[in-house]
Amino acid sequence: MASLTSVFANTPFGTCVYLSRPPIHHFTMTSPLTRLSFKGKGGDLFIVLIVNMLLTFITLGLYYPWAKARSLSWYYENLELDGHPFHFHGTGNEMFKGFIKALGLLVVIYGVFIFLTFQKMEVVGFLWLFGTLIALLPFIIHGSYRYRTSRSSWRGIHFGYRGDLKELINLCLKGGLLTLVTLGIYGAWFAIDLRTYLIGHLRYGSSRFAYKGDGMEFFIMNLKGYFLTIITLGIYGFWWQRDIFNYYVDNLSWEFNDGKRIQFKSTATGGGFFGLLVGNLLLIIFTLGIGFAWAEVRMMRFVMEHVEFHGDADLDAVVQTELEHKDATADDLGDLMDFGIFI
Amino acid sequence: MERSIKAIYYDGATSRPQEVDVTISPLNSMEVVLPNGDRFQWPLEHHGMQWERTANMLRLSFGEHPRRVLLVRDELFIKSFVIRMRHSGRLGVYDRLLSFARTGPVFFFLGVAALLVCGYLWALPWAAERLVLLVPQSLDERIGDAVYEPMASTMNEDSERTEALRAFGKHVALSPSYELTYHVVDDEQVNAFALPGGHIVVFTGLLDRMGSPEELVALLAHEATHVEERHSTRMLARGMAGYLFLSLLIGDANAVIAVIAEHANSMRNMSYGRNLESEADAVGQERMFANGVDPEGMVNLLRLLEEQAAELPDGLSFLSSHPLTKDRIANATAKAKELGKPMEPNEALHESWNALKSEQDQPLEEIPSSVN
Repeated sequence: MASLTSVFANTPFGTCVYLSRPPIHHFTMTSPLTRLSFKGKGGDLFIVLIVNMLLTFITLGLYYPWAKARSLSWYYENLELDGHPFHFHGTGNEMFKGFIKALGLLVVIYGVFIFLTFQKMEVVGFLWLFGTLIALLPFIIHGSYRYRTSRSSWRGIHFGYRGDLKELINLCLKGGLLTLVTLGIYGAWFAIDLRTYLIGHLRYGSSRFAYKGDGMEFFIMNLKGYFLTIITLGIYGFWWQRDIFNYYVDNLSWEFNDGKRIQFKSTATGGGFFGLLVGNLLLIIFTLGIGFAWAEVRMMRFVMEHVEFHGDADLDAVVQTELEHKDATADDLGDLMDFGIFI
Repeated sequence: MERSIKAIYYDGATSRPQEVDVTISPLNSMEVVLPNGDRFQWPLEHHGMQWERTANMLRLSFGEHPRRVLLVRDELFIKSFVIRMRHSGRLGVYDRLLSFARTGPVFFFLGVAALLVCGYLWALPWAAERLVLLVPQSLDERIGDAVYEPMASTMNEDSERTEALRAFGKHVALSPSYELTYHVVDDEQVNAFALPGGHIVVFTGLLDRMGSPEELVALLAHEATHVEERHSTRMLARGMAGYLFLSLLIGDANAVIAVIAEHANSMRNMSYGRNLESEADAVGQERMFANGVDPEGMVNLLRLLEEQAAELPDGLSFLSSHPLTKDRIANATAKAKELGKPMEPNEALHESWNALKSEQDQPLEEIPSSVN
């Protein structure tokens, strides 16, 4: 499951880019409703990763932001909708600036923590550390969404995120507190609220996205998944994974100014997830990790080929509306804190 | 190259793609003809022109945000375009490296792998040793104190025997750079340890089983070498450098790779830990000799530890940092032979040794009544 979230991170706008296209040159049995396709080859990703690794290593890690931009670009360029590739505009320079700022911020936070600890005020120190790190989360989500979406485009039109930081903070505050008070139960509602808010403020030029989920439904689905997974000694986990994936995709829609909309629909099955995840695990274990790139490509293909587009909206009629946002600080901060922002 | 090719054009205003004709003129500019007959020029040398090449596509973009974009899939065009960019110095290190890697991926991979292995085996330990030199000695002492303080409250220190051990310790000079502070702790474990900066803790479980002052000096010399040679700091530096190396390497990679790599790394750290133990034995024996104590004592001490370790199931001791006692005994025996017997035996030790041992003979049960 951890590896599935990395797919979200590598797509232009998280889950919503669970979009795929009819692979014209493929002889697969995909329907014309499948309009997203992933063209990348494992071998090519492997080369990109090795080059990145080499440069990062030689520069003692300094190259990391550039490597990150390069590998993100690779994923975007190889993802096509109706035969047209996505594009990632982010640059290593931007990410490096953001990286330095994010690092500076973390140094200050940990510096104060260490200072307080040396003053024998451990409790205050821990409160400070966890307090600031948790308080940073909405800023990270907000900033990352703005950055990643603004730096993503398709057919020359940029994506964008128009959420309001104050609203997001309120949402996180309410959701976080209720989750704490209800010992985690409210987490399902919180997750759906957050997703609805974030995706609801996502733009592709003049078009927008929407997510319509229900906390109760999501909670029951996860409760059922949890217990069945335990009862079946983990086997049901693949079907649980399918349920979550489908819940994300089936409630997602793309809305256009003329009132037309595209409803996304997943065709993923539990058996499919079983083959994908077990296959990838074996692929990685038996190659001692070298098969990682091929596993990534299998994952991308699987996701993209299992999303259908229902509706007849005109994708040619979208107009450029979004401004540029080049500050990668929040995105890098999320990366440094190992925090998967793209829900 | 006067040939005209088809490309996809996005004008940056709408999402509608257009199929256009592109020609590169000898004047280093590109002419783009739109389907409706409109045409415009694109200067190739202009710094506002950006290009990116992927495995099967060339992407050119131009102007301010929103940029106008051309996508070219014609292989011949891409090749000649890249050559043109190389001649005008606009082919970066990354693109050169990537196209080099794409021409011979297997050799490139093996080359990088070899480089990384060499880095891990040689450059990393070298860097870690440099790192240790940067850490001042006083920091070792502060770390040691900071660790010992909370530890002391959980251990039952035997103050009388601590005094006796300190008196014993006065007769030998084991660490030129650090002031050693000995502690005797009432504990059944057959063990002893040293903290960075000079705290050396001996458990009564080990002390009681010792049969000669030479064994005790061997133990203290071994632990003092850990302090003197800053083994904890070196382990720490090694561990940190290894961790950094791994996180540089596998940064975003999969959890399975991370687990495999971390295990491999910690196995290596353990083997480094064993090397440090052997070093502590050998240097400790030299210190013994310099203090007029028979280095053979180390062999006896190790035998004693071996007997105790034999009581543990094999599985438990195999991977720890004090195993392979057989090898250590063999090495210590050879070293003792090489050093020979000291010319002027340290006679003063025996008296302190007897004093230390006499404390042991008091039955523990009597202590509460004597307090009353």
